[in-house]
Parts: sequence; C-alpha cells; structure tokens
Amino acid sequence: MQVYKVYFKIIKSNIIQLMIYVFVFLFLAVILSSTYSDPIKTDFTSAKVNIAFINEDEDSILLNNLKDYLESHVNFIALPHNEKSLQDALFFRQIEYIVRIPKGFTKSFLKSEKVSVNITKVPESTSGIYMDTLINKYLNTARIYIESENDMTEKELIENMNTDLSESAEIVMLNSAVENDTYEKCAYYYNYLSYSLFAILILGVSAVMMVFHNKDLKKRNNCSPLKLKCMNFQMILGNFSFTMVTWILMIASSFILYGSFMFTSKGLLFIMNSFVFTLPALSISYLIGNLIKSKNAMSAVSNVVSLGTCFISGVFVPQAHLGDTVLKLASFTPTYWYVKTNNAIADSIILNTDTLMPLFYNMLIMVGFAVAVLVVTLVIIKQKRGLA
Amino acid sequence: MFWHIYKYRLKCLTRSRQMMFWTLLFPIILGTLFYMAFSNLSSVEAFSHIKIAVVDNEEFQKDTNFREALQSASDPDNGDGSLFDVTYTSKEEGESLLMGGNIEGIIYFNNGIKLILKESGLNQTIIKEFIDHYKQTLSTVSAIINRNPEAMQKGLIESSTSHKDFLKEASAGSSAPDTTVNYFYTLIAMACLYGSFFGLNEVTVNQANLSAQAARANMSPVHKLRVFIYSMTAAATIQLVNIGILLLYLTVILHINFGTQITYILLTCIAGTVTGVTFGAFIGSIVKGGEGIKIGILIAGSMTMSFLSGMMYDKMKYIVNTKVPVLGYLNPANLITDCFYSLYYYDTYTVFFTDILFLILLTAFFSLLTYLQIRRQKYASL
Repeated sequence: MQVYKVYFKIIKSNIIQLMIYVFVFLFLAVILSSTYSDPIKTDFTSAKVNIAFINEDEDSILLNNLKDYLESHVNFIALPHNEKSLQDALFFRQIEYIVRIPKGFTKSFLKSEKVSVNITKVPESTSGIYMDTLINKYLNTARIYIESENDMTEKELIENMNTDLSESAEIVMLNSAVENDTYEKCAYYYNYLSYSLFAILILGVSAVMMVFHNKDLKKRNNCSPLKLKCMNFQMILGNFSFTMVTWILMIASSFILYGSFMFTSKGLLFIMNSFVFTLPALSISYLIGNLIKSKNAMSAVSNVVSLGTCFISGVFVPQAHLGDTVLKLASFTPTYWYVKTNNAIADSIILNTDTLMPLFYNMLIMVGFAVAVLVVTLVIIKQKRGLA
Repeated sequence: MFWHIYKYRLKCLTRSRQMMFWTLLFPIILGTLFYMAFSNLSSVEAFSHIKIAVVDNEEFQKDTNFREALQSASDPDNGDGSLFDVTYTSKEEGESLLMGGNIEGIIYFNNGIKLILKESGLNQTIIKEFIDHYKQTLSTVSAIINRNPEAMQKGLIESSTSHKDFLKEASAGSSAPDTTVNYFYTLIAMACLYGSFFGLNEVTVNQANLSAQAARANMSPVHKLRVFIYSMTAAATIQLVNIGILLLYLTVILHINFGTQITYILLTCIAGTVTGVTFGAFIGSIVKGGEGIKIGILIAGSMTMSFLSGMMYDKMKYIVNTKVPVLGYLNPANLITDCFYSLYYYDTYTVFFTDILFLILLTAFFSLLTYLQIRRQKYASL
C-alpha cells in the first residue's frame, strides 16, 4: 500500500491550508448556533418593526399615548439624535423607520389645523407601508373624534381612542405543528458545510494529483513493478478515504451543536444528503486535479469554484432571495440541488412518501452529476495517456 | 533611470500571472458573484401586493362596509392604500391555497371576522392590521353616536370614511439606503488591499537578503531608495489600473451605484491603492520569515479587515463603527468602504475627508516604518 500511504503524506504536508477551511467553517457554525433562538411558537405573533421615535414637541398626552400604542407593534431603538447616526442606522437596517414629531404638533393637531409628522423610511419597503398605516390610523382615529365632538378633553379623547384601538381581529392558526428553529439552523449549518467541504476536497485531491502527475515521477512510477491497476486502486481508495475523513470531520460538530436532533429522521436526512453531496464534490475535485498544473492555479481554482457555486446556489444568500436566471444557472451545479434538498428537509412538516420522493430525486441528480463528471474525467485521462 | 526601472518593473509585475489573477481577475469574479447573489436582495424587503383569499359567504355579502373597505384596499389604482390581491373562494379551496403557500391569509366571516393564517410574519401582520383597523373604526363611530346621536347628521360618516395622510416623507440621504451597494464597496477595498502583494514583491526584489535578484540589484551604483521608490511607483501604477478596471466593470457592466462625484471616487481609488501597496511593503519589510508567511499574513489581514468592513456580513461595519469606532479608523478596508459609502449616501463631505485623511496617515505610517527598516542595510558579503 505504498501509494495509499503517499496519498496521506501529501495531504499531511498540505494540512495547514486545508485546516483553514475547517476553522472558517467551525467559526461560522459556532456563531450560527450562538445566535438567539426564539422559544417555540405556536400562536400568532405580530411582527415588530425597529424604529426611532424623536419627539421635538412637548410630552403631550396624545403623543405619549401614541408611543404607548406603537409599543406593541414596534421596537423603539435608542439612538443618538444626530443626523449621521440616524442615517447610518437606517442604511444598515438597525432601524427601518424614523418618526419625527415637529414642534407644536399636538396643539395644532387638536385644533384641526393642517399638520404632519415627518417620517423617513426605506423606500417601497413593506415595513414602511406597515408603519405608515399604523401612524395614520392612530391620528385619523383622533381626527374623527375631534371633528365630531368639540367639547372633548385630551384625556377623554385618549380614553375613547384606547377602547377603540384595543379592538382586534380574531386569528385562527391553521398550522398547529410546533415550529422549531433547530431545523432551520441545522439547514444553515449543512448549507455552509458545502462550501468548506468542496474547497477542502478540491485542494486535497488536486494537491495529490499534482504530485502524481509530475512528469518524471510518472515515468518512474510507470516502470515500477507495481501494476497500474493496483496503483489506481490505491489512489481511488485514497480519494475515498480522504473524502470520508473530511466528511466525518465536517458533520462531527453538528452532533455537538444540535445533539439528539441529529438522530431524528430529519437529522439523518441532513447527514445522508451531505454524504450524497460528497460524491459529485469528489468527482469534480478529481476532474480539477487532472486539469491543473501548478500550485498557484490550485488555490485560485478551489477558491473560485467553491465560492462561485456557493454564491449562486443559495449557501450565502438563501435561494428564495436569488433571481430566477441565477437559479437556473445554479441548477447546473450539484450545490444547488444539495441546498435545495436541505431547505426542503427543514421546511417539511411531515415526512411521508410524497414529501420524501422529491428529496431522493434531488439526491439522484447529485449522483448523476458525480457519474457524468467522472466519465468526462476518465475520457480526459485516457486522451492524455494517448498523447504521452 | 526612472523610466528604465519603472518600465521593467511594470513588465515583471504584469507577467506574474498569479498576482494579476488575485489583484484583477479575482475581484472581478467575486464582484460578478456578488451581483448574481444580491441583485434580487433589495426586492425582498420591497412591498408587493399581499395575496389573500376571502371566503365568499352570506355573512361576507351582508357586510357592505367591509366589502367597500376591502375593495378600496385591493384597488390597484389606490396608490399607497392598495395592499391586497384578493381571490374569492370557498373555505376549503382557500385553505388548500394557504397550505400550498399561494396566499398568505384567509378572511373568513363566521360570527364575526376571522383571519386564518399559517404562520406569523410582517405580511400577516398587515392583513391583521387591516381587519383591526376596520373593527376599530366601527367602534369609534358607534362610540361617537352613543355620546352624541346628532353626529350622524353632522357628517360623521364622511369624517370616518375619509382618510387623511398625516405623514411627510423625508429621504434618508442623497441616495436610497440600499444595503447591497456596501458589499461592492468592500470589494473594492479588498482589491485595494490585495495590491499589497505588489508592495511585498517590490520589497522582495529590493532587499538583498530576500532574493538573489535583489542582491544583484543592490550591487548597482544607483541609490537604493531611488530604485525602491521607482519600483513602488510601478507597483502602484499597475494596481491603480487594476482598480480602475474593476471600478469600470462594476459601474458600466454591473450598474452599481457609486454616486456622481467622479473626482472624489477617483481620489478614493488612488488613496486606497497607495495604502494597499505600502501596506504590503510594510509587512514585507518588518516581518521576518519566508515569503509564504508574509503572503499568509497579507491574505489573513486583508480578509479580516474586509470582514470588519462588512464584506461577508453587511451589518459588521455598523457594529464596528458604533461599538469600537477606533477600530474603524485604523482599518484601511473600512476607510475605503466608508469613503464610497459617504459619497453615495451623505450630503456632506466631512466624513469623506476624514476618511481620506486617515488613509493618508496610514500610508505615511507604513512608508515611514518601511523606510526605517530597509535603509542603510549593507552587506559585506551576499
């Protein structure tokens, strides 16, 4: 088994470069799992918008009540009241809406004079429309009272409004299934896994290939008493062992982070899917290993291929947020099908033949990729041999 | 003498395929990927009509007020008031639409208005808000009639059905707060820092203990500082051309918005390029060790700095600038990003010039230390 041993010697000499990707991945995985997770929710919760509320007017009953009313619909974010910090917060979506009550607003409003609230929002955004509706509703309700009754005190007005505004729609939740965000986190974990796994496989496999493709070395190997068949067998074994070790290393931390969840049927599906993904990844790495000639090209290709497929396939930006053309393009990469399957596993409520079949179908496509790329690689190898 | 060295350094650097890949091609590829991945991102927060179903039963038909309200909320001509895209169905049909994800909620009249939902979210909240609003207005009207029955004659109906807009919108900055542009700004910042590979290379070919070529060059009677400055000029030139090509690619082909201040944009590119190249020379001269280690430090360094200016996670820049502002001023990637950001978004130039000033200070710092490190190194034997 000399060839097999050499395989891992070469891997060992490249270990630092490979470990970088493992650490990057682990870093992301830990950050992911340490993010706050909502408790299990079964009933309806109103979405809350982050806003900044600046009152340049007096602390009137009307405005304080507006603030109280908004409290249940928004999160007030405290920010320094200077232009730059508000602008920055809006750009980076720390807040999505800024309300500015101008001076003298309450007095003019109660006298039915023409007044307005200054607002700044993310243009065309859903949260902007929602906030517009809320504030306008509050002020319009007050307006109706003021227009109809002249003798109302501010306090009476507020009392009446609050009775009205406490009216709300009755909600029936159709889906009583327990929503658990472990699924989603786990899907993220496994999606990210494809980036590091792919990069490591390309780097590792092509590093070994490059050594064996060295012209002098190849000539020497060819005149060794070891049969070519045996050598190739050991190489294949090496490739598979390396892939297996990488895969086990990558999924290992999911057992630490998500514990018993990994042994549920969904968890096992994630594991199975990631295993199927290693096949086309290995196949593509083998192709690349056979094509490139220099170490510099190796890091360039591994970066571009792993980053590129991940970007367009929805690893870094969810598939739901990608354009149709991009997704069509991405469907020519195995990563797309891998991510799609992970998302489907996370989203499925019940697992039965109807929901499982598409998943297996996706996995079959990945196997198809693996076979197709392998065939191409073998053809290339054969042609190269003919030239030598 | 200048032209001689300058020309040959240009040739040497452009012929290094590896360096050209990382400084020119890689940012372009990454930019293309960003573009593909983010081009749809801003439409995610954009409002589009919420698809809902209304169960068309007897109770719904009887409630003319609600039907009118719904009509106006689903009228596409109603501007901002237009919220919904309504399908009228039976309850069963609606539920299957809801489960299939074709609609976001069902309005169902059964002893009062009910809202059937599958999950929580902003769109669902807006549907709920619409129904709440309707019920609240009814409550307001009946409260007024209870207090003052004559109100009906005094135009209460008109008052309650007319909707007044109390909001006056002010824009946030000189351009829309489009988060995705920041990714492209950090990309240029990263490309500028990748220019450090050129700077490193110049140190390697001018320091006699680092390469055979440098040892030979040091034998020549030209003052070492002059040779070094000429070489650095060549490095900066190539990097500036690379950044220029990247900028052109981003603006002309990908249509990324950089604002309109072309002079200031170019100024940023120049400042960023010089900072990047001198950064490489700085690392090349003060770090002891092989070229591999130096390249490792440059890559890790520029990646970390790009990360802190928001290349992988856009809010990172905001977090750093609000929590640890000092770090923002010491990070050249953040300063370059911030230059573009302030040109795009602010109406004033205070932030921009502060950033440029800090870039110049960093360049001066890198250059000074490089100079102190490499000056007067003589060797009795090489």
